[in-house]
Formats: sequence, structure tokens, C-alpha cells
Amino acid sequence: MGEVIVITSGKGGVGKTTTTANLGTALAQSGSRVCLVDADIGLRNLDVVLGLENRIVYDLVDVVDGFCRLRQALIRDKRIDTLSLLPAAQTKDKTAVTPEQMKALTDELRQEFDYIVIDSPAGIEQGFKNAIAGADRALIVATPEVASVRDADRIIGLLEAAEIPPARLIVNRLRPQMVRRGDMMSVDDIVDILAIDLIGVVPEDEQIVVTTNRGEPAALIQGSRAGEAYRSIARRLKGEDVPFMDLEETSGFLDRLRRIFGQA
Amino acid sequence: MRRTLRSGQRVAHDGNVVVFGDVHAGAEIVAAGDVLVFGHLRGVVHAGAAGAETARVCAWRLEPVQLRIARMIARSPDRGDEPSIAPEVARIEGGQVVIERADRADDGRVPRG
Repeated sequence: MGEVIVITSGKGGVGKTTTTANLGTALAQSGSRVCLVDADIGLRNLDVVLGLENRIVYDLVDVVDGFCRLRQALIRDKRIDTLSLLPAAQTKDKTAVTPEQMKALTDELRQEFDYIVIDSPAGIEQGFKNAIAGADRALIVATPEVASVRDADRIIGLLEAAEIPPARLIVNRLRPQMVRRGDMMSVDDIVDILAIDLIGVVPEDEQIVVTTNRGEPAALIQGSRAGEAYRSIARRLKGEDVPFMDLEETSGFLDRLRRIFGQA
Repeated sequence: MRRTLRSGQRVAHDGNVVVFGDVHAGAEIVAAGDVLVFGHLRGVVHAGAAGAETARVCAWRLEPVQLRIARMIARSPDRGDEPSIAPEVARIEGGQVVIERADRADDGRVPRG
């Protein structure tokens, strides 16, 4: 029986879709059968990030309405055999699906996959309720910004109310140099405020912009720092004990020299 | 239709659909007959949706994400195709979707000037 994981944040633009794509890719790369579900009906993006937009024939709403079979709507990834996508509809809205239907859908997917990763829409309305309906656990994505952390806190409360086990936190787009200067919240600050367990930290990485636009998840690229962070999160999800990355390495050459000479 | 179709907008019609404007990625046109776009076609288009294999899709610039005629589906190449530089026509020939420049299309139905 597969496990259903929802990626959510409350606030928009913090990297839910990028996280879903990369985490799913990393999980599938390590041999698990993974299905990504785009629950952002009406504003679908996950297909674009994965470079699969041109393969969509049927979508989640078609499946729920009984217009096609689940198998017909699933799109096999072009790079990784064990990765599939269930795309969202673009011409409908969140009210096209109910939480009960989503629950039934995820239960069906559980039979076929090890991990079902759901990309939640921003907000706390019906789209969010649909996304969490069938979830066994949740991963919260937050960036080191007050607004993002506040929205994450709200979401954690809603997840508790929905009786989904304690969520774990992904801090996204961290800029270690800014943290060091005291210009950005640190991971510890965020963990303190939200009081949930951390599962990973993804550094700000220009390569993410490039790979996202190109439809090739960074998790596939060796040497991408964000990609490496996502691969670590995938391993932690599977229960491995992976040490947290030393983000200090992202600092410049001069900083590194200074540290070597003990002046940092 | 005299407007641009944006992402999420969908037009379904049981005849021919003519658009004076662009069809953006994420928009969808479904027609039982032909689809003519006097503009940039970047969305999903389905001509002959009721099964007519003689249906055609014509566009000033034909760059759809996906193009369907009757029961055939053609998708855009995964790695950046060169942009369309002339009006083109898509139709079914020999069991597959073929696309050619409108001024060279030779199925006897396209007026040539």
C-alpha cells in the first residue's frame, strides 16, 4: 500500500510545485513507484515543470467524473519509468472535485504506487481541502519570510484539525550569506516559530529557475545544490538518516579562504 | 471569435471555429469541424472532434502544445522546435497528422494565391 504525501504551504510562490516535481523525481530515481498529483485545478503547472504538458489528454477531473479510467489519465515520465503524473484540469476550477472524490482517487492510486505526492494549491479553501483529503502526511514548504512562516503556521493548525499526523518542514530558498549577515531568518528561527520537525533545507539556487523553465527537474542534475537537497529529503522520507547539508559551502571563494585562515 | 483565448479558456463548438486573435498555451479549442486561427496558436486544439478525419487546423502561426484531429493526437516536440515562420495547415493524411505551409498545401481545398 502506497503512502500519500501532500506538499502544501498556504502562501503561493514558495515552491510547492518545484518541490513536488523534484521530490517525486528523486523518490522515483531511487526505485520507488511514484505518482505525482496536481491538485491545483484551473492553474495547473506541475506538467510544465516536468516537461510533460504536450502529453496531456485526460486529467484529474475527467477521472473523477468517470469520463476516463485512471490509467488513461496517468502520464509516464519521459525520463524515469517509475514516475507518473496525474495532471490537473486547466479549464475547470476547484469546485469540480470534492474531498470525498479525492480520497477515493488517492485510495485507488495507493494500489499501484509506493508514494503518491500531491501538489496542493495555495490558499486554505476548497482546493487545499481537496489536496489534503486523502493524505497520510504532509510536508510544509516555507521560505524564510515572515508572511510565508505565518501562512505555514496557519496550515499546520488546519492539518492538525484535519487529524493529519504532524507535518514536517521544508525550508526553501534559503540564502546562507543573508542569514549570516542577519538579514534573513535562519532555519532555527523558523523551526522555533513553527515547532515542527525539519525534513530538509533547500538553498536558493539559480539553476532551479533554469531547470523549471526547461521542464527538467533539478533533482536529476548532479552538482545542483538544490537538486542535492531534494535528493536528501527523498532519502529522509524513506526513513534514512541523512546528515543536513553544510550550507556554508555556498559562500564565496573569499569567505572560504577566510575560514581556512580562521578569520571568518 | 474576435479575441485572444487565454490559459484556462475553452471554446467548444459543433461547427467550424474561427479565431481572430491568439490562442495561448493552456487554452483549448474543440470543434466538430475545422479550426482557423488568424493569430498565434499555442494551446491545445481539436478539430473534427466528432470524428471527421477531413477536418483541418489552420493558423497564421501553428505552434500548438497538442493538436488533435478526429481520433489522432500529435504533440509538440519535447526539445524546442524552430518557431513557425509561415501560416500552416494540419490535416490527416495516410493515417497520421501532417503539417505543411498553407501556401504549399496541396489537398485541393486550400486556396492558393
